[in-house]
Amino acid sequence: MALIGGGELIELEVESPTPAVEVAGKSPAQIAFARLRKDKVAVLCFSILVLMVLVAISAPLIAKAFHVYWDISDPNAPNVGDVVDFDGYPSVGPPYHGFTWDHPLGVAPRTGADNLAWLVYGLRTSLFIATTATVLTTVFGVGIGLVWGFSRGVLDQVLGFITDLFLAFPFFLGLLALVPIITSHYATNVDGLPRAQLFALLSVLVVLGWMGLARLIRGQVLTLREREFIQAAEVIGVPTRQILFKELLPNMVAPIVVSLSLSLPAFVALEAALSFLGLGLTGIPSLGKMAAQATPYYADYGLYLWVPVGAIALLTLTLNLLGDAVRDAFDPRTRR
Amino acid sequence: MRFKKPIVALSAACLLTLAACGGSGGGGNGNGPGVDTSNLGNTGNGQDPTRQGPVTIEGATKGGTVTVLTSTGFTTPIDPTDLYYTDTNGIMTSLVMRQLTQYAYDKATGQMILVPDLATDLGTHNDDYTEWTFTLRDGIKWENGDPITAKEVAFGIIRSYDQETFVNGPGIYYTNPYFLEGDTYKGPYTGNDPDGTKQHAVTYDDAAKTVTIKMAKPFSDFPYYASMPAMGPIPTDPAISDPAKYAQHPWASGPYKIDSYVIGKSLVLSRNENWDPATDPARTQYPDGYVFKGGQDPLKIDQILLADSGAGQTTLTYDDVQSQDYRKFQNDHADRLVIGGSPCTYFYALDTRTVKDKAITEALTWALPYKDQILASGLIPDVNAIAATNIMPPGVPGRTEYTAVEGHGPFETDTAKAKQILTDAGLLNYEIKFLFRTDLDTDVQSKAVLTKSLTEAGFKATPVPTTVADYVATRDNPKTDINVRSYGWCSDWPSGATWIPPLFQSTDIAKIGFGTNESAFNVPAIDQKIADTFKLPSAEQPAQWDAIGKEILTQYLPVVPRYYTGVAMIHGSKINGMYDDNTLGTPTFRNIWVSQ
Repeated sequence: MALIGGGELIELEVESPTPAVEVAGKSPAQIAFARLRKDKVAVLCFSILVLMVLVAISAPLIAKAFHVYWDISDPNAPNVGDVVDFDGYPSVGPPYHGFTWDHPLGVAPRTGADNLAWLVYGLRTSLFIATTATVLTTVFGVGIGLVWGFSRGVLDQVLGFITDLFLAFPFFLGLLALVPIITSHYATNVDGLPRAQLFALLSVLVVLGWMGLARLIRGQVLTLREREFIQAAEVIGVPTRQILFKELLPNMVAPIVVSLSLSLPAFVALEAALSFLGLGLTGIPSLGKMAAQATPYYADYGLYLWVPVGAIALLTLTLNLLGDAVRDAFDPRTRR
Repeated sequence: MRFKKPIVALSAACLLTLAACGGSGGGGNGNGPGVDTSNLGNTGNGQDPTRQGPVTIEGATKGGTVTVLTSTGFTTPIDPTDLYYTDTNGIMTSLVMRQLTQYAYDKATGQMILVPDLATDLGTHNDDYTEWTFTLRDGIKWENGDPITAKEVAFGIIRSYDQETFVNGPGIYYTNPYFLEGDTYKGPYTGNDPDGTKQHAVTYDDAAKTVTIKMAKPFSDFPYYASMPAMGPIPTDPAISDPAKYAQHPWASGPYKIDSYVIGKSLVLSRNENWDPATDPARTQYPDGYVFKGGQDPLKIDQILLADSGAGQTTLTYDDVQSQDYRKFQNDHADRLVIGGSPCTYFYALDTRTVKDKAITEALTWALPYKDQILASGLIPDVNAIAATNIMPPGVPGRTEYTAVEGHGPFETDTAKAKQILTDAGLLNYEIKFLFRTDLDTDVQSKAVLTKSLTEAGFKATPVPTTVADYVATRDNPKTDINVRSYGWCSDWPSGATWIPPLFQSTDIAKIGFGTNESAFNVPAIDQKIADTFKLPSAEQPAQWDAIGKEILTQYLPVVPRYYTGVAMIHGSKINGMYDDNTLGTPTFRNIWVSQ
């Protein structure tokens, strides 16, 4: 072989990397959680939230421990006349009588249903609805957002149109129209009604709640899909599904977690508001419904209103503060 | 008589009426709602055929406009022939329309007294009460100044035959069954007889100013029926009295005329200058006018009246006060709280076609959670829901106090005793099927309370769901698979004849359904006794009605009386003369005046 320029073979000496100080590789999520742990507000909110979830999960145990019943037709519940005065006000406990361990938070006027039992079971309903709705909207929002952002041409336009359509849909009007239809359809079916109402409430919350997240995800996908690692994956023929879920999705954990943590309190408040308006679930305790029943009595029996309102306020405040902390923790631009 | 608003009121929170039941007044906190109600609805022998106008109220001043707020009421027709609800009856007969007879409030006894209205007396009758003649007064006029003629009064009465045109009216209960040709003559509109010449029951003499009505069977209570708007004058000109048109603006003959009217929403009345007080033995015309507003929020009504400022001082409501506000009015504004009777009874009717054993009703009498249901539905025990014994409320002439089930006290619930009765009869776990409205909160609560108590008493409770919209039709359908029906009934006038026959006379279930006999009670011996009683002299009838009622309740027990109704109405501080018209459970509009 002729050597050009008569040069010598150059031996490249590759320096072996110095096994210096161990720089542990941390994922963004790990960094975020580390930040969260140092955030006092986040820790406090998380503890309160855990406590409330525990209360909700163990509602039957709490009710049993205090011998209180949310259902006045329960064989062990006190008779209405035993706990309610002639004008509907409780004849035991607040507002006109002293504290009693039989009903630590008093009883509801007229029906004599126990407020503590309603609180813990109502918390249960709130958290169940909020969690389920959040999980479902996240699944739909992320799924549609990914496809929408990655697609081009007709599919992109169609998804865009559908999203805009749902965004433009008057949410409350839909519920106001839908709920009476469902209720009247199932009115003579005692077993079917609660299930139908639950299904209706959840589907309305989900069907009309996924668009925000879908647009957020689409925006993220748009910025990512022109990056080299995605183009490389496309070039070497990685299936689209794999690109979406293996390449793109892990890059979107931060926005998803943030959206999740902020939509939880929104759904809690929404469920309460809808129940307050009589559009929520019937036949089971709900904090919103309790608040609605309490308003006529507020002037004389404030506690009856403060119990559900306080619980809703605490729950939404906690979730919101925690959501803010999560967002800050996941945002690399945040300096603390 | 029907309630202010038939369906909703009938069950829900029954925003209806009052009363009292001797002896049981107690309540909590030493300020319980005790009311003396032993005379509820008692117009008893209160008749004064000679009373003359004009009426003056001592100290009353002219002027002011009265505002009347209501949430449930005032949603039913006001065409006189089609008018059969308590609130519109109270408003129209007191202020706008005149009839052959009317009621006047007697302050000394707190009762209503039947007095003449357009007629000079309470009518004259033949020996067997099958022909009634009324002579009209001089000086009675329409709002446009035209005199009211005997022909117009006769035409009004003939109109009540037409039950197909006036489906809400009382004609189907009284005109058709009692009047001559009631079963064959279809009325001026349906019978295509605009002048009313094809019937022979109602005749008039314009010169002598008399109207004569012939009956198919004895009708000794006719002067009471004659106080209903359907027994008043209607202009004979078809262009004016066309039912669709006249319902929008009935002509005034009383002290006030209609300025504007939107059903269920508003009714504005102003003075009728052509009403002559000298011709009227009961009505007055002190306020300048009335403004009725329907569909109001009940909580707001209470707040307006509680605050009692500005226009609230001249405001009143004929809805019951909300139970949670009752204590405030009772303690601080007792002078603005009007408590009194209204002649209605709520009861559970057991379907006697399937419930054959009296032990079931007896056990049910002990098992019912009377007070709990009343509280849960927002009523006030002993104020607007009073423990019932006799099916007829206090005040009905001839009524005696008895308990259908030996030893059962007012509002007494004893599930252990009920269980014992069922066990002894071998009927433990007998299934009680009853309706409840899933879309009515108070009904859902009431159902929960009832279920608990029935289960405790050894019944099997099966609530059958329905809706507010379907409730009445479902309940009144004899084929519905339930065996206990909740029902309310009110006197049309204080007489056993408005209680025993409609509730217990057998009906052809297959053909016309229950009618108003919701327990499908069918005992030929009782039917015979009812028929015989109608033929008795009117003085002997009251005791006989009560005897039949007692026999039915003690021997057959097809119903469980739950409570009598009462009213607890409130008014502003400038409203005077508002008492309880206990024949209806509405304010005594005839006596109201405004402080200046």
